[in-house]
Amino acid sequence: MYKLVKTAYFIEGSGRYRVVKNFFYDLLENNQYRYKKFFDIFMILVILSSVTILVIDVREHIPQWLDDYDLYFVTTVFVAEYFLRMWVYSDIHKIIIDEYEESLFLNKPFSYAKLTWNILRNKWRYVTSISALIDLIAILPSYRSLRILRVFVLFRAFKMLRYTRSLTGFFFVLKNKKFELITLATLFLFFIFIAGIMLYVFEGDNDNPNIHNLFDAFYWALVTISTVGYGDISPVTPEGRAVSMLIIVAGVGLLSFFTSIIVSSFAERLDVLREDRVIHETAKKKNMTVICGYGVLGKLVAKGLKKENVEFIILDINPALAEEAHNAGYRAICADATKSTIFEDLGIHKRISNVLCLTSDDIQNAFIAVNVKSLNEKVTVTARCSDDEVAKNLEFAGVDKVIMPEEVAGMMGMVYAGEPVAFDALLAIVEAKGKTLIDEVKVLSGSQLQDKTIDEIEFEQMRIILLGIFKKSDSKDRPDTFVFNPAVEYMICSEDMLVIIGYDIAIANFKKRYQ
Amino acid sequence: MYGKKNIVLFGYGTTGKQLYKKLTEAGNRVRVVVESDDEMIEGEDIDILKINIKHNEDIFSLAIDPRCDLLYCGMGRTAKNLFLVLRLRALYPEATILSISNSPESTRKLKYAGANSVIDLYEATARRTVSSLTKPAVTKALDEIVYRRNDLRMMEMAIEKYSVYDGKKLSEIPFRKFGIILIAIIDKELGDKLIFSYSTIDHMLDEDDVLVIVGKEKDLAKLQVKMLKKN
Repeated sequence: MYKLVKTAYFIEGSGRYRVVKNFFYDLLENNQYRYKKFFDIFMILVILSSVTILVIDVREHIPQWLDDYDLYFVTTVFVAEYFLRMWVYSDIHKIIIDEYEESLFLNKPFSYAKLTWNILRNKWRYVTSISALIDLIAILPSYRSLRILRVFVLFRAFKMLRYTRSLTGFFFVLKNKKFELITLATLFLFFIFIAGIMLYVFEGDNDNPNIHNLFDAFYWALVTISTVGYGDISPVTPEGRAVSMLIIVAGVGLLSFFTSIIVSSFAERLDVLREDRVIHETAKKKNMTVICGYGVLGKLVAKGLKKENVEFIILDINPALAEEAHNAGYRAICADATKSTIFEDLGIHKRISNVLCLTSDDIQNAFIAVNVKSLNEKVTVTARCSDDEVAKNLEFAGVDKVIMPEEVAGMMGMVYAGEPVAFDALLAIVEAKGKTLIDEVKVLSGSQLQDKTIDEIEFEQMRIILLGIFKKSDSKDRPDTFVFNPAVEYMICSEDMLVIIGYDIAIANFKKRYQ
Repeated sequence: MYGKKNIVLFGYGTTGKQLYKKLTEAGNRVRVVVESDDEMIEGEDIDILKINIKHNEDIFSLAIDPRCDLLYCGMGRTAKNLFLVLRLRALYPEATILSISNSPESTRKLKYAGANSVIDLYEATARRTVSSLTKPAVTKALDEIVYRRNDLRMMEMAIEKYSVYDGKKLSEIPFRKFGIILIAIIDKELGDKLIFSYSTIDHMLDEDDVLVIVGKEKDLAKLQVKMLKKN
């Protein structure tokens, strides 16, 4: 086998190589990576220092060590960054392996020429990308012999945009409005062209001492149409003034058109930027809950979760509802929850523990539930539905909890038919409208509750009713057993869940003492 | 007591169907009434009466006994439920009327119209969703008791005149011995309010006071037998 191919396979198999490469990738390109922030700040400082040195250098003499710093250190950092980015852009060894395997498969000789061509083409794609070009130009001022290259130091300032997340988004604005901007630019050029030539024809022949050539006329046209109007060149003949009047009016129109395009596209972009921030904010959170659908039920659930201090994020496909959720002070994103993208952005594998599908459409809920489960089976999915048959399907699809508003109402109706007073008592406790609450206390290992009998804990003195205890089952398949009103000699073990009823202050007191 | 109630259920939509299912499962006798312009529900093996709720004669023809019949309004639309509650309340001032609602807004209106109790579909569902997320053990415990997943249940017990507990103090009843938990009481001397913090005062039990208790069915039955004993 060729030595090169062997090396490629060795790299492919090396875990260490991958770890190192992933680290640099995260540091340079992955916005979700925790330490990228520090790298970005470092780069911004380097750029700022370099620009400052350059500006001071224009009129003052800078000390030698600063010049050396600018020449060697800054350049080294930029060059290193440039090549690192080129390195993480793609994997050369994969290209080699692909090429080798292709030649094996087709039974063709392994061609170095073709391989080199492929590698070069691949990296060339990186080199010609806009951000790489800016990086490259930003390195150029280090070449001191050519004074004109100093201007390119400004590209170092451009480079800063790369390190500030929200600013990169603004580049998309120009991209999104390409068509409108090109139309506008064409119009501008057209007016400048016409007006410039007209003025040159009317006043170029010595009528106006300030207009020496066509360039002066175009310069005047641009200054006038943009409503800047320096006044260094101004028309002197009635014909020239008539042209001025026309392009001033046209200029005001074009400028406001231009402003409105930029403003509207920024406004569109701002929503996206805001949602990026929402996603970014959640990057450090764990055990998040996702509410899909901000309808009647979604709103109530969001309110309830907020009260319980549960971290959650709302998804709704309807921009108006997402906006409403945002205005209500929740984290909200307008997104299609039936697609995997949004869940991957939110970190379905690490940060999400619960997904609630609460749209009013059963099919939609099933779709979302299946989407989530297919991405990560460990996430607990609760889906709302209004049909017994659909409920069965959902359970078959792996949904952990199916909630049916109509069934809940049916249950409550049934309880009411049985015991109206008991029903009221229950509502009062569950709704927590009064001061009486029902709550749970988990017995952690090492807690004061552990290995004590019911008798030893002064529930009564603490004004707490112990309703029962959930005993953790040994195996995962069996549900936990509920021990109602445990006997006085019941020994509390760790992992037990105590269900208690009492006044809010009594429960707080109990929790403080034992949890 | 659970079951054995006579219930008139108005409406047989998605909510109505669930109400019917749960109520009959609990052993209640349920009569279903739908509006005459509703489409006939096919494939269901139950008696459905069709009436026009705007006509008093039609409602009278149901022969509702306001003292024993519970009236459930489970129509699909809030406007209809509201109308029904108003009408039923006008015809039977002493009846117990329960209605389904779908927003706090409607709940307020239904209560004003005269419903004794209102079940807010979404409020209840939201509460359940939230509590099963934040307090899973509590939710499961309540399910066991309320929805009778096993033999546990919550019931109310009124103190009858001359019963053994009439005139006794709360602390004198050995609930623990019966394996029963007392959740709340209504002390008629203090009004109709449910009192949860009974342990702060040792209430004196008299006639018509109500105890809300939870326990195993056979334990509850034992206590009931004891209670019925006359002094």
